[in-house]
This record gives sequence, structure tokens and C-alpha cells, in this order.
Amino acid sequence: MNYRSFLKSEWLTLVRRKQDTINALLFFVMVILLFPLGVDPSKAFLEPASGGIVWCAVALSILMAVESMYKEDFNDGSLEQWLTSGLSLPYLVFLKVFVQWLVVIVPLLLVLPLLANMLFFPIEQLMVMISTLLLGTPALFFIGAIGSALTVSLRRGAVLMLLLILPLYIPVIIFATGAIRAAQSGMSYSGQLAILAAISLTALVLSPLMAALSIKASMN
Amino acid sequence: MSVNLQINNFWIERNERQLCRDLSFSVSDGELVRIAGDNGAGKSSLIKAILGWIPIEEGLIRLNGEDITHNRDLLLFDQIYLGHTPGIKSILSVNENLRMYCPNASEVALNEALQQVNLELFDDTPAAQLSAGQKRRVALARLWLTKKRIWFLDEPFTALDAHGVAALEAKIQSQLESGGAVVITTHQPLYHLSPKTVELTP
Ligand SMILES: Nc1ncnc2c1ncn2[C@@H]1O[C@H](COP(=O)(O)OP(=O)(O)O)[C@@H](O)[C@H]1O
Ligand SMILES: [Mg+2]
Repeated sequence: MNYRSFLKSEWLTLVRRKQDTINALLFFVMVILLFPLGVDPSKAFLEPASGGIVWCAVALSILMAVESMYKEDFNDGSLEQWLTSGLSLPYLVFLKVFVQWLVVIVPLLLVLPLLANMLFFPIEQLMVMISTLLLGTPALFFIGAIGSALTVSLRRGAVLMLLLILPLYIPVIIFATGAIRAAQSGMSYSGQLAILAAISLTALVLSPLMAALSIKASMN
Repeated sequence: MSVNLQINNFWIERNERQLCRDLSFSVSDGELVRIAGDNGAGKSSLIKAILGWIPIEEGLIRLNGEDITHNRDLLLFDQIYLGHTPGIKSILSVNENLRMYCPNASEVALNEALQQVNLELFDDTPAAQLSAGQKRRVALARLWLTKKRIWFLDEPFTALDAHGVAALEAKIQSQLESGGAVVITTHQPLYHLSPKTVELTP
């Protein structure tokens, strides 16, 4: 095994398991649809709330996608092979999360313009929303990867994982929706974007290390 | 190719149960070591402890004279480990699984290996559609595809038919003859191999 062949097999696995990706996407769309249908379809409500709605939907569907990301690797013995491959475990984790991010976030960005339009989100500011997603979602994936690694050996770890991870998602959501709201009221939002980028970078560096540690710990 | 792995005074505990204490043995090129013991005696744990993902209470491990107790990378680069669940991805085909583990193997070598383990007709079959024994054969095919000096095989004969057992024994023999070393745990009698036995007693 080398990093390239690992990456390739992760990619193949995710592409073959289209259903998981489609589920995350459907979930994202459904949550967003619930707001105009269930709360208030008026522009006065939706336009200011749209940033928050989109980000909550994104956070939930990412949680769904990462919740059991190592389950199968744990069950079929792949984790043991990672550990004994002589390759760097943090780097393998990094590659895995990166592929997951790509596969989940690209379809999501493709349907975003349509949904944003439905929420009366001003089309000129769509780039701001996309920027927050590109800069902020890596943090959600990498933080989720730690939770998933911590609960990998537990049979019913899903709820525990939610409790561990959700509080850590809050800062990301706050800064992301803050940036969008600032843009909507014509203020500068580069500060929030910078903070999002900083959180993602920190998560990107720390999470593979911590996930690798907890994978190693749960293997014995 | 010469290799020498020394296990000195290993003390392993799991769930506060002592699995072994003051256990010492060595494996060198051309040697087959069989770890014996009842179910739950700690055979698998011993292999995991050697590979470094179960902690040891005490002990020292040397590879070719060098102390690798605190960093097993040297050993990891030079070995193949096949455990009870050998890391075969059910969604990938036989071919793709082998390509993941042995990216540098040629097409010819790959076909040759599949023939050796009697899977040449299952090249493109998803591993999910294989029987337990066939899945194990996929994992075992790696032995034909990568040159590593030490093999750690945990119960490699389970679920294999007579033909598979013979093929694997022959492969182990040729690994030994080419200067490799093999550590194995098994309950099966070995027909053509004469191992040095390490007994784990409670
Ligand atoms: N994942 C695990 N977590 C905790 N204890 C374990 C685990 N796997 C095995 N054990 C314990 O370690 C001991 C040795 O197990 P193992 O090495 O698998 O035995 P063997 O391979 O000889 O059948 C057993 O007493 C078992 O209860
Ligand atoms: Mg065992």
C-alpha cells in the first residue's frame, strides 16, 4: 500500500457508494425545504435567515456523512492494515477526510444556487456564501473525523459522537453566518472569512493527529 | 536477505489478565515460528504487541540487532501482517483490492498470483460476493505480490480448503527458502512444515 493506491481505493469506495452521498445531498435539500414550508415562506423571514438555514443544513448533512466514516474500515480489518502499513496514520486520515469532503461538498455547491434563490438569498452575494462554505466546511469534516475516530469501536457511538462534536461546530456556524449577514447588510466580512480559514487550517493540522491517536487507542 | 527478530522478556497484559511474562524467542531467515496456545491464550495479542499496537508492560524487541521497542517503523516496512479480518474491502473487486495493497505489482504478476490462489475467474468480482475462504485467498494473494522479509500470519488456514492449505504451505516454504521468516498462529496440523513452537500457557 502507498498513499496513492490508498487514495485511489478511498475514491473508488466513495464513488461506488453513491447512495451515501446522495443521502447527504437529499438531507441537505430537505432541511432547507422545511423552512419555507414549515415556518414562513415570506421574503421578510427567509432573506435574513437564509445564511443560517443553509449552514444548519450543511452542518447536519456533514455530521451524517462523517458519523461512521471508519466503521467499515474497523470491521473489515482495514484499520489494522493502516496501522501495520508503515505509512503515516495521520496522513492516511487526512487523505480519507479530504476525499470525503470533495465528494460531499461538490454536489452540495452545485445545488446551492437553486436553493439560495428559493430562500430569496441575493444572487450577487452568492459568492460570499460559497466562500464561507469552502473555507468553513473543511473544519466541520476534520472535527467530525475526530469524533468518528473516538467512537469507532463503540457499537452505538452515533449519539455520543453528536454530543462530542456538535459544540465544536458552533463557532464555525457563528462565523460563517456572521460573514453572510455582514455581506447582506453591506458591511465588510473578510474578518469572519479569515477566522473561518484559520479554524479550518487548525482543524486540518490537528484533527488527523488526534484521530490517528484515537484510532490507535481503540484498536487494542 | 537476512533477518533476525528478537523478542526479549515480553510481558503482555490485557484486561488485567496476564497473557505472557518473560517470553523470549527469536526468528531469523529461513525460520518458521508457530505461536501455539488455547483460544484466548493471547496468540493474536502477541503478534499485535510485536507490531506495536498493543502496549507491552515490559520487554525489548530487536530487529537485526537494533532496538526497535519504541519505534517499530523498521519492522513495519519489512513485514506483511494478515489478521483475522484481513482488510479486504467488500465494495472493491478482487483486482482493485490487490492493486490497493500491491500498487507496484505488474499485470502479469497479478494474474499469476490470482492463479496461485485459484481466483483467476474472480478478477472483477466485488469482494462482497466472495465466500469467506475466497476472501481469505484474496488477502493471501498479497504474499505472492510483495517481497517482505517477515510475515505475520494469524490463523491463515481458517476457511481454506485442502488445495488452499497446500498452496499456502508451499508458499511459506518458498519464503523460508528465499531467506524470509514467518510467524504463524494456527490450530491446524502442518503437513510439510516443521516450525519452532512458542507455547503460550496461562
Ligand atoms: N479487543 C479486545 N479488547 C480487550 N480484550 C481483548 C480484545 N481481544 C482479545 N482480548 C482478550 O485478550 C485475550 C487474548 O486474546 P487473543 O490474543 O485474541 O487470543 P488468541 O488469539 O490466542 O485466541 C483474551 O483473554 C481476550 O479476552
Ligand atoms: Mg486469535
